[in-house]
Amino acid sequence: MSRLLSRVGAAALGSLMSGSLLVSPVMAQQTVTVGAIEILSGPSAAYGTAIKGGLELAMDEINAAGGVLGGKKLGLIVEDSAGNKDQAVNAARKLVGRDKVPVVIGPTLSNEMFAVGPVTNDRKVVTIGTSTTAKGITEIGPFIFRTALPESDVVPVTLKAAKDKFGVKTIAMMYANDDAFSKSGFDSMKAAAEQLGLTIATIETFGSKDADFSAQLTKIKGLNVDAITISALVEPISGVVLQARQLGIPDSVRFIGGNGANSPKLGEIAGTAADGLLVGSPWFIAKKGETNEKFVSTFKQRYGKDPDQFAAQAYDTMYIVAKAIDTAGAADSDKIREALYKTDFNGVMGPFTFTEGRDPASNEGVVVLSMKNGRFEILE
Amino acid sequence: MDGMTMAEWLDDFLFTYETLIHALGVHGLLALSMYCVMAVGQLSLGQAAFMGIGAYTGALLTLNLGLPFWLVLPLSALAPAVVALVIGGPTLRLSGVYLAISTIALGEVLRVLYINAEWLTGGALGLSGIPRKADLWLIYLLLFLAVLGFWAVGRSKIGRAMEAMREDEAVAGVMGVNLPVYKMGALVVSAMLAGLAGCLTAHSNSFIGPNEFGFEMAVTILSFALLGGIGTPIAPVIGALVLTSLPEILRPLQDFRLVINGLIIVVAVLFLPRGVIPFRLRRAP
Repeated sequence: MSRLLSRVGAAALGSLMSGSLLVSPVMAQQTVTVGAIEILSGPSAAYGTAIKGGLELAMDEINAAGGVLGGKKLGLIVEDSAGNKDQAVNAARKLVGRDKVPVVIGPTLSNEMFAVGPVTNDRKVVTIGTSTTAKGITEIGPFIFRTALPESDVVPVTLKAAKDKFGVKTIAMMYANDDAFSKSGFDSMKAAAEQLGLTIATIETFGSKDADFSAQLTKIKGLNVDAITISALVEPISGVVLQARQLGIPDSVRFIGGNGANSPKLGEIAGTAADGLLVGSPWFIAKKGETNEKFVSTFKQRYGKDPDQFAAQAYDTMYIVAKAIDTAGAADSDKIREALYKTDFNGVMGPFTFTEGRDPASNEGVVVLSMKNGRFEILE
Repeated sequence: MDGMTMAEWLDDFLFTYETLIHALGVHGLLALSMYCVMAVGQLSLGQAAFMGIGAYTGALLTLNLGLPFWLVLPLSALAPAVVALVIGGPTLRLSGVYLAISTIALGEVLRVLYINAEWLTGGALGLSGIPRKADLWLIYLLLFLAVLGFWAVGRSKIGRAMEAMREDEAVAGVMGVNLPVYKMGALVVSAMLAGLAGCLTAHSNSFIGPNEFGFEMAVTILSFALLGGIGTPIAPVIGALVLTSLPEILRPLQDFRLVINGLIIVVAVLFLPRGVIPFRLRRAP
């Protein structure tokens, strides 16, 4: 037993050492390596895998087109966080301390970023979230950027569309109160609803793992609202939508979702019960334009499945990083940080620049989607 | 090490593994907190809950009142100790799996409390921006003192009574061991250790959330003691070291990391049912 353990340990140590010894001296000359921290194992692995796919696709295209800094190759080390913030921090420390990357892309979740951000920011390493939508991410420090549109930029577009196109005036609001992502999304929704002058009839909460929402929905049914907003992950949203129709809330009462509802899984679980649900998205697979069509087809060819929003955001981010390295003229974090402020990029998500606060400057690219027969369509 | 000085290398090394080294120490304290109750034959799963109380107490005292860390630390140990005293009365009448269930409930109640007391705890968003004040030497000094303390107690008359309780509570009672006092004492000390660990975590991660101190953490802490063994105070600490460092050592295996990690644990539990370090403490003559 102890022999087995020591052998496994020796093998692991061996590969650890050979990895660092073999890679660094040769590659350091011709390669500019950036790091990424994504969820590649565990229940949320789908997000990280999509992001990794988008990053690698863009990297290979950039390298095929001549790389960065006049002929150097762009390299990428992706570390797994397993969705755990401690492991995300360990991964960040490894990327910064050992691999000496000038840029860290990720981590996947806002919670992870709240733990990783202070560490990389202290070390003055540029960190770019591609999927972190919560409030306060870029306020962590001057080296923290994000290319993901925060919920506070997307939700107002969705609510405005609901108001303008369907005459929504009174709403009920629901959210999962035990999860940072859902709560933060709700805060943005409430602020947007108040700004648009919508009447909030009631605010109901539930737990992310709840299965029964009949108490909340029965109350909402009695209030005769025009629409119901919901901020949660896709599984509880599917449950709420299904039960709402079972309880007889009419189809004319639309659901308006946050970022969590923007998943094909919603249609798979809830089927036609989800029809009419509105959600804003920074990207949509059927978005017109040559860049996007090319991205969708090459992604599909390479990975055998459709890209999602996360892959698209990651794809654009890799291009933005490569451009910033070129503008900076060196793989130096300070210079790349300066260069990122000058970003002016037109990718699959649309035109992209950063604000002074290191957030995406425009939400022009946001499209409002509506669910029909279990699939998303662009709301015309 | 092309042109790098030893100091630079050490600096990078420490930076790379700082969080891990912190976590190893903190998890060592948590393992001892588990050991403390298991040493008297109790199966309490409240350690994560006590850790949470310590973490929130420490973070709130630092963030809202700006108290110095040398004051925050003992207060963070005191708060869970008080809670342990209050809940100890009714719960310690239970034993075995019933005690485990009721202490799991404590963790759940607190989780719901953290989520809903938004004005104080930040709700689901947790508390962020906690200054990183938990120094490396402090964590390991506390761990060293705790191991030393348990070792000294374990070799004394108290330790003998504890071992008697662990093997057979009824017999120990008949022999004159004051069972309620020992059980309560173990619970309070274990709560204090967990509280310390929580406070140190909060001040080394700079972020805490309500879902970190739930059932999953409780089971993780239990597994430290199960893997290491509870024969000596050093055994659960070794268990914590192994379980905490394994995912990082296996990082080069990439996709197979968690598979191998799980496999090693299963094999260890199958072949070493009394823990990695099965020895028992020698007694003072």
